[in-house]
Amino acid sequence: MMHNPSKVRQKIMKKWIMGLRSCSSSHENLSLSERRWIIKLSADLALASVRNGSRRWSRAIIEEASRNPDNKGLIQRMLGSGCDYRSPCLIPREGRSDGNGAGHVTKSMWVATSSKKIVKRCRRARRSNGRAPRRNEAASIAKRLVKKRTQLLKDFVPGGQDMDDVSLIEETLDYIVWLRAQVDVMRALAHSLPATTSI
Amino acid sequence: MSSRSRSSRQGSSRISDDQIVDLVSKLRSLLPEIRNGRRSDKVSASKVLQETCNYIRNLHQEVDDLSERLSQLLQTIDPDSAEASIIRSLIM
Repeated sequence: MMHNPSKVRQKIMKKWIMGLRSCSSSHENLSLSERRWIIKLSADLALASVRNGSRRWSRAIIEEASRNPDNKGLIQRMLGSGCDYRSPCLIPREGRSDGNGAGHVTKSMWVATSSKKIVKRCRRARRSNGRAPRRNEAASIAKRLVKKRTQLLKDFVPGGQDMDDVSLIEETLDYIVWLRAQVDVMRALAHSLPATTSI
Repeated sequence: MSSRSRSSRQGSSRISDDQIVDLVSKLRSLLPEIRNGRRSDKVSASKVLQETCNYIRNLHQEVDDLSERLSQLLQTIDPDSAEASIIRSLIM
């Protein structure tokens, strides 16, 4: 899924350090929590920037960070003012297909319709003789669980609230791999620094 | 009439089920904790989704913890400090 993981980690590390350095001149005495904020934000932005806006989650990270005016300076320094990471994909949620093709399944098609109609089907099946009601019930319970868990997943993937179920899982697959790279980079730095620092 | 609507419903859910099953199996391969298949694909799909949420949550937590730790390790974010040379060696 990731062609060259070590190269990716290097890129993230470089971008991240660049972000950290860009803050050193403007803030002389940072509090611990301010430093922590900058460290985390620049790491997140480094990840998003290295992913280069080709994924919704990466654009969503930048979008969400941009909402806080305190972050504008760092975002500009790390990503450049010329970049516009906004995209038509980030239109407020409609849960609709954006015309990707006839087979494209949207949330409204899969989740809402099928769970409503499955419940109806179960009720009907209970009354009729031809079907096995227990199998239908198990299927409907399973589908409801999947729906519930899919909703939960949306909170964990940046920009997830605006995605249909299929895009969500595709984005999740990508996000996990790249997020792991970010964690590896941060861990590498934390482990390589001496326990006590001298200023 | 009911059979027509039922088959069209089944048509759309068949496409989505296949896609979801395919993607969920890819998710499963990313999560080392889940190896065994369960009774049905749909039951394991919900388990995979749950594990995925947990996994991402843990990764986010690790980012927070590492940020915390690094904020203590990096007294100043200073290009000329001793840390900077370590950092430089990591990047090269």
